[in-house]
Amino acid sequence: MIPLRLKIETDAIDPYVVRLRSFEGVAHDTPTLSSFDAVLGYATGERADFSSGAGTLRVFGIDASDVNGDVLFVVPRRGTAHRLIRANSRHNTLLVTERCDQLCLMCSQPPKKQHVDMFPYFETAVLLSPENATIGLSGGEPTLFKSELLEFLGRMLAARPDIDFHVLTNAQHFDGDDLAKLGELDLDRVLWGVPVYSSDHYVHDRIVAKPGAFDKVREGLSILCQAGAKIELRTVLMKPNAAGLADLAGFVTTSLPFVDKWAIMQLENIGYGRQNWDSLFFDSSRGFDTVGKALDLAISRGINAMLYNFPLCTLPPNYRTFAPSTISDWKRTYVSECAGCGLRDDCGGFFEWHPKAHGYERFGVT
Amino acid sequence: MRKRLFTIPSLLAAGFMPIESTAMPIAPFNDGGKSKSLFDIFKLDHKFTLAGHRSHSSHSSHSSHRSSTGGGTYYPPAAPVYQAPAPVYQPPSPIYQAPTATAPAAAPLIVLPGNAAKFKEIVLQVQFAMLSFGYYNGELDGKMSPAMRSGLLKMQSDYNLKVTGTITPETLNALRITAD
Repeated sequence: MIPLRLKIETDAIDPYVVRLRSFEGVAHDTPTLSSFDAVLGYATGERADFSSGAGTLRVFGIDASDVNGDVLFVVPRRGTAHRLIRANSRHNTLLVTERCDQLCLMCSQPPKKQHVDMFPYFETAVLLSPENATIGLSGGEPTLFKSELLEFLGRMLAARPDIDFHVLTNAQHFDGDDLAKLGELDLDRVLWGVPVYSSDHYVHDRIVAKPGAFDKVREGLSILCQAGAKIELRTVLMKPNAAGLADLAGFVTTSLPFVDKWAIMQLENIGYGRQNWDSLFFDSSRGFDTVGKALDLAISRGINAMLYNFPLCTLPPNYRTFAPSTISDWKRTYVSECAGCGLRDDCGGFFEWHPKAHGYERFGVT
Repeated sequence: MRKRLFTIPSLLAAGFMPIESTAMPIAPFNDGGKSKSLFDIFKLDHKFTLAGHRSHSSHSSHSSHRSSTGGGTYYPPAAPVYQAPAPVYQPPSPIYQAPTATAPAAAPLIVLPGNAAKFKEIVLQVQFAMLSFGYYNGELDGKMSPAMRSGLLKMQSDYNLKVTGTITPETLNALRITAD
C-alpha cells in the first residue's frame, strides 16, 4: 500500500506545508524555487534529507524519487507528514472535516466530533499541485463548512485554471441563497459526488441514519441542477438496497435525468462497512440480475451509468465495459487468484482491506 | 372541467412531471443578471449520447472515478499534548495570501510539469552505467531503490564527488550521461 503518512524529523516547530523537489537526473543545478520548495540534498536507502527556508526535513521509509513533487503537511511534534498531494497520483483527496450529519451504515470513514480548519493549508497545497490535477474534497461532510468551501473553490478555480475538483457531499446543506455563489464558480471543473441509496425514502433514510435525508437530498440536487453543476450520483450496493436498485434506476431516469453520471458502487470493507460487513455485503457475482436490470434501464434512457469497485471477473462479460478501474492506487490490491489474469491491467482489483475470503461466489475469468 | 382534473394526474402517472415541485425552479433568483440562464447552463457541457452510452474512451478522465475514503486524520484525536494550531482563516481577497508562509515569498509558485517518464529513462541509463562500473547489480527497471542509493554513495565517495546518494549533475558527468 502506498503510504499517505510519512515518518519525518524536522527542526521546525509549527505545522507547515512544503513541496519536495529532488532535481535528480537533470544536467544543471540552478533550479527556480518558491519559498515552499524543499530541495533534496542527501539520500540513503532509509531516508532522504530536504532543505528549505523552514529548515531541514528528513523523510524516512520512502525513496526520494517517490516523493518528488509531493506536497506535504508537516506536523513536527508528531514526527509525521501527510502527503496532501502526491505528484504521481491521480487520486489525491483532501479531507475537509471529519464532522458529518449522517451516520451511514457502511461509512468508510466514520465521523468524529472535532474539527480543525485545514483550508489555509489546502489552499497552499492546491497552488503547489502538479499540472492538470484532479483534487478530491471529502469528509465527513464538506458542506458543513459550506461558505468556506465555496470560497475555497472560487479562489482555487480562478488561481489554477488547469485543476479540476471532485467534491463528495450529501448535498443536504444547499439552499436557494447558494445559487448566486455557485453561479460564480467555473462549475464545468467541479464534479459533485452525491450519494443516493434508494428511491424509497425509508430505505435511504435508514441507510444514512438521518430521518428526512432523502427529501433533503432531492432539494439539494434540484439546487445543484439549477446552478448547472455536474453531478455524479453514487449508490453503494448493499443487501438493504439491492432489491430496490431497478426502482432507483427508474427514479434516476425520470426525476434526476440531469445527472452527469450514476455510479453503482461495491462496498468497501473499512470503518462501519467492516463492522456491518455480513449484514451489508451483497454478492453481485450471484445476484447480478438486479444490477444488470438497473444498468440496462439507466443506459437505455441516456444516463451515463457505471459500476465502481467491482472486480471485472465478477461481472458478466458484456457488462465489464461499464466497470472502469476505480479503486485509488494507494488502496488497491489483488488476491492470489488474480495472478496471471488477463483482465488485470483493466481491473481495479480489491480494496487493500478487503477480506481475503472475498465473498464473490463466482470469481476468476473462465 | 372533468377533463382538466384528469390531465395532470395522467401526466404524473406517465412520468412526465417531476415528483415534487422542488425539482422545478419556482422563482428566478435575483443576482443582478450575472447568472447563466438555464439555456446557457444546459448548452455548456452536455454531449449528445447516440448509443445511449458514451464510449468507454469518453468517460471523461478516469481520474474522476473515485472511491470514497480520503487520507487520514491530519490531527489524530489521541493527541497527548499537541495543540491544534488553529490557522487563522483569511477573509476572501482577490490576491492569494499564503497563510502558512515560513519565509518571505521570493518567487511565485511554480507549477511542475509531469516528467516521470523522462526521469525513468535517466535512472535506467544510470543503472546501466553503474552496473558496468560494478556499483549496482539489481534490476534495470528505471526505479530508484536502496541498492541504487548505496551504490551511488559508494561510487561518489570512490570518485571524489560530492557524496549525496542522489543523481547529481556531477554524477551524470562522471558516468558520461547527458541529460536534458
